[in-house]
Amino acid sequence: MIPEIGHFALVLALLVGIAQASVPLIGARRNDPRLMGVAESTALAQFGFVAAAFAALTACYVRSDFSVLTVFENSHSAMPLIYKFTSVWGNHEGSMLLWVLILTLFGALVAAFGRNMPESFKATVLAVQAWIAVAFYLFILLTSNPFLRLAPAPFEGRDLNPILQDLGLAVHPPMLYLGYVGLSITFSFAMAALIEGRINAAWARWVRPWTLAAWMCLTLGIAMGSYWAYYTLGWGGWWFWDPVENASLMPWLAATALLHSLVVMEKREALKVWSILLAILAFSLSLIGTFLVRSGVLTSVHAFASDPMRGVFILAILVLFIGGALALFAWRAPLLKQGGLFAPVSREGALVLNNLLLTTACATVFVGTLYPLALEALTGDKISVGAPFFNLTFAPLFIPLLVAVPFGPLLAWKRADLPGVTQRLLGAFVVALLGIAATLAIEGHPVLPALVVGLALFVMAGALIDIAERIGTFRVPLATMAARARGLPRSNWGTALAHFGLGVVLLGIVGETQWGAERIVSMKPSDRVTLRHYDFSFDGTVPRSGSNYRDLVSRFTVRRDGEVLGTMQPAKRTFLSRNSSTSQAALMARGFSQLYVSLGDVSPDGSIVVRIYHKPMVLMIWLGAVIMFAGGAFSLSDRRLRVGAPRPARSAAAMQPAE
Amino acid sequence: MTRKRRRLTLIGAAAVVLAIALGLVLFALRDTIVFFNSPSDVISNAVKPGTRLRLGGLVAPGSVVRDNDLDMHFQVTDGNHSIGVAYHGILPDLFREGQGVVAEGTLEPGGSFRADTVLAKHDEKYMPKEVADALKKQGHWKDEYGNPGATAGTAK
Amino acid sequence: MLWPVLALMTAVAIFAVLWPLARTNAAERTAADAEVYKDQLDEIERDRASGVIGVAEADAARVEVSRRLLAAADAKPPPALDAATGLRHRRSAAVITLVFVPLAAISLYLLLGSPNLPGEPLAQRLTAPAGTDSMAGLIARVEAHLEQNPDDGRGWDVIAPVYMRLGRFDDAIRAFRASLRLNGENADRQANLGEALSGAANGVITSDAKAAFERALALDASNPRAQFYLGLAAEQDGRTSDAVERWRKLLAQAPADAPWVVYVRQALARLDPAAATSAAPGPSAQDVASAADMAPSDRDQMVRGMVERLAARLSADGSDVEGWLRLMRAYVVLGDRDKARAAAADARRALASDPDKLRRIDEGAKNFGLDG
Repeated sequence: MIPEIGHFALVLALLVGIAQASVPLIGARRNDPRLMGVAESTALAQFGFVAAAFAALTACYVRSDFSVLTVFENSHSAMPLIYKFTSVWGNHEGSMLLWVLILTLFGALVAAFGRNMPESFKATVLAVQAWIAVAFYLFILLTSNPFLRLAPAPFEGRDLNPILQDLGLAVHPPMLYLGYVGLSITFSFAMAALIEGRINAAWARWVRPWTLAAWMCLTLGIAMGSYWAYYTLGWGGWWFWDPVENASLMPWLAATALLHSLVVMEKREALKVWSILLAILAFSLSLIGTFLVRSGVLTSVHAFASDPMRGVFILAILVLFIGGALALFAWRAPLLKQGGLFAPVSREGALVLNNLLLTTACATVFVGTLYPLALEALTGDKISVGAPFFNLTFAPLFIPLLVAVPFGPLLAWKRADLPGVTQRLLGAFVVALLGIAATLAIEGHPVLPALVVGLALFVMAGALIDIAERIGTFRVPLATMAARARGLPRSNWGTALAHFGLGVVLLGIVGETQWGAERIVSMKPSDRVTLRHYDFSFDGTVPRSGSNYRDLVSRFTVRRDGEVLGTMQPAKRTFLSRNSSTSQAALMARGFSQLYVSLGDVSPDGSIVVRIYHKPMVLMIWLGAVIMFAGGAFSLSDRRLRVGAPRPARSAAAMQPAE
Repeated sequence: MTRKRRRLTLIGAAAVVLAIALGLVLFALRDTIVFFNSPSDVISNAVKPGTRLRLGGLVAPGSVVRDNDLDMHFQVTDGNHSIGVAYHGILPDLFREGQGVVAEGTLEPGGSFRADTVLAKHDEKYMPKEVADALKKQGHWKDEYGNPGATAGTAK
Repeated sequence: MLWPVLALMTAVAIFAVLWPLARTNAAERTAADAEVYKDQLDEIERDRASGVIGVAEADAARVEVSRRLLAAADAKPPPALDAATGLRHRRSAAVITLVFVPLAAISLYLLLGSPNLPGEPLAQRLTAPAGTDSMAGLIARVEAHLEQNPDDGRGWDVIAPVYMRLGRFDDAIRAFRASLRLNGENADRQANLGEALSGAANGVITSDAKAAFERALALDASNPRAQFYLGLAAEQDGRTSDAVERWRKLLAQAPADAPWVVYVRQALARLDPAAATSAAPGPSAQDVASAADMAPSDRDQMVRGMVERLAARLSADGSDVEGWLRLMRAYVVLGDRDKARAAAADARRALASDPDKLRRIDEGAKNFGLDG
């Protein structure tokens, strides 16, 4: 009964979605508050029904109900409970259900918390959101139905793909989807703005928290995916420029650009047309990502299944939404009035430069990702565009962007004093130069990595100076500084944190790629290997049993200068039901650096091929992403983003620092 | 500055950035892309030694020879032709005889192939797309490859 | 039990749409844009007070925001709704919802769902009474038995072909190995193992599979399955002529009514043209041409004879699903799609009472491309 209830809930979600897609729009046109009010209740009901469907599917997985086809194909009764949960979205059908769950979650959040918007605007936003949902309900019900049944039920399931039996799967896809799908809200806002003709500074403020929330989830989702690949795939890489990774990077770049252009729009009412376009593009890139992954155009570990029908269906959704949005944009955008004026050297100018570089970088990723597909379609030649292409095109665009980052927040609106700002950044320049000198002294040539270290330190120091300047460090008494720090809007803290995180990521990247060390050796028990002052001795191999797998665990004792630091236990994991194996790498953190050991083949004579890496500063890559996330969270908690919501009793007067 | 001049500055800056990006993309596309070939393609196109390419096909059954733990060679076949591949390093977990494989590396004089990367299929269901296409082209594709659950190998 | 729940859910869905329509009065909202601009003015004041921006900049910014504030205040509120039309709209929306939602939900669900299938979680299946056992239940029972008595050779012999049928090749390999160990070696068992091994490798004859087939031939040189698969192995290794030779030999010794002959012929047909052209340089071009001409018609005739016998047997006793599939396949191979379709239709009639077998026929028809 449970699977059928889930199935029916999904059907009802579709019908409620159809109501939400039509009635509020009519209400907004006729100015009928009751018809508009339908948007809120249906948005909540839609979320409720999809959540019920998702819960039903989860129940089927947890209870190993193999009368449901997808459960049979992707689950096994002996799997640990946690993977019974995560395998719900470890396959195409379930992951699409998760996709709409998050889509309706955002709709429900707008319905519940978007009280600061005009009623008709909110109704239009929710109606647009429902169009997207309806398209995807149809896609799921007609081509990827997770509730199809099997009779009689097979006794045992086929088990989940071993690579996906990992905790990383528990968090990475939901987080990434929160970001991907969260951008649907910005899309709906943009469409509603075009429909209603309400494109002004207030719009920018309403849409910003949603963009920020999606951006935060996307940031963390990408970082988690990267860390997951790093420790499960067993060769220590954390970014492969795989088309699926690019599919998540492109919306991230567009969303980052959008966040910055919204600031200009909110403060100065400039860049209106551009911001609307970016909002449309960001979600379009999410949809393209979904298409690339789900259609089977690309094959990789992410493409759970490929089916031409699905590809065509998603392509149709893609064309309908992107084409429709751009057509509406082309029709309505020229009606907009000019925004505020600004000089090239100004905060606005810096943000324009930021947008220019981010979108161009996004475009190069787009070209590199889709060029092989286009070429194959046109000429039949199969090529692969790999890391060298992206390193060559992406990096030259990102480096000037990073150089500009510390300047941006210090520049004044309208017209700024560049020499003055440079002077204020003197401290950052000094830090950067010291970093370059230190790097050269320790690591020697080549010079380029040292310069990148300098750049990273410049960005980090610039973020600190931004805050220091705002609270008047060294210029005012300590008490005033503290008061100012308290009074400083949270979004200023957020900006500084996010920029600081960016520098940290860069530091991690340069450390790992430039000074990492690697050895591949064949070892017998009691063999010793040395890598970068670390001494690894192989103690031997023991088998260990898990619920649906068997591990062959190898123990290594790690020493440095004769002192034992600990043991590392990489393993070969064999999954019994599929008779396939994966490598479980062992990691040991040393500050921000990591030691990484993974196993290759075991020879009949008992020797084993071992890959040992030393990865300096590698943890900073993900730590930086977490700092960026925290920056976003700080910004999101800024009271100003909730303007219009009932204000706390403590009024503006109390927030003014006493001077 | 007038509105018009400001706008021109903006457009000029955008044009410069886009031109640089375009130049980089074109340059990179010429130098960094790698073509995918099946063994038959390599032979029929007379690919020059030293060319970097991706070679895809099936690992010929019984052809994997380990010289020691880290060095090995095997044959990659598409049914009509095979090419010997030498590889130093750790093979992916799912590398097996008779399964699809993509090797990236360079063609050496004498027609053998030195791989620096070997990618195997990710799971039972997965056959690298390029390999599947190449096999189909050579007429050695069986539907069972894509769908082992159905009727694979039961032609009795 | 299911239907009341579904009805309740439908009621909730309808309620979600109708409730706002019935509300007496929606709360009036203040001008939301103006709120934002007022807040921006406050912010400018704060920034000026804390010295983040100078007095002149603050004034300029204040003017700019004030202009926006005025524009927002000036914006005309949309014309108020006339009560009668509003009521009419609401009524029609309500009626449409009341009719459309339940009807569409039920019809779409009946189209896609399986309301009569109960859920079968693992715990429930384990305790299911013996009488209602399905194939899967039987397998589970044999498996449980073998877990207790792993040395029961007969049990492994029973379950191994079942695994093969289900495509669980890894289990089949294990079972055949156990059977070989416990029941002793014979050519058939080795050939079975080889088949399972190649099944596990997606149809590729791996070196392990090859070894098994060779062992089978060593035990019984005439084992047709081993011969056939070794030919396939030769083909996969690119030794086409070896494959052709092996299969020709196999056909030469085959009893005329052996069911597997059609597969060998089919495999041979795939390679034959190539074999004919790459033959030794002895015969003239004309000879080659005529041989290539001859062989297929000759082959066709033989196959047709066999197919007719099969068709006759099936029309007498239609319960053999394998036979039907073989017949359909044979017609497809012979290029006679109409007959293949007719055979599929006959099969569906003959097997109408058995949904499992019907499904296999449907699958077969799909695989052979006989649908539509």
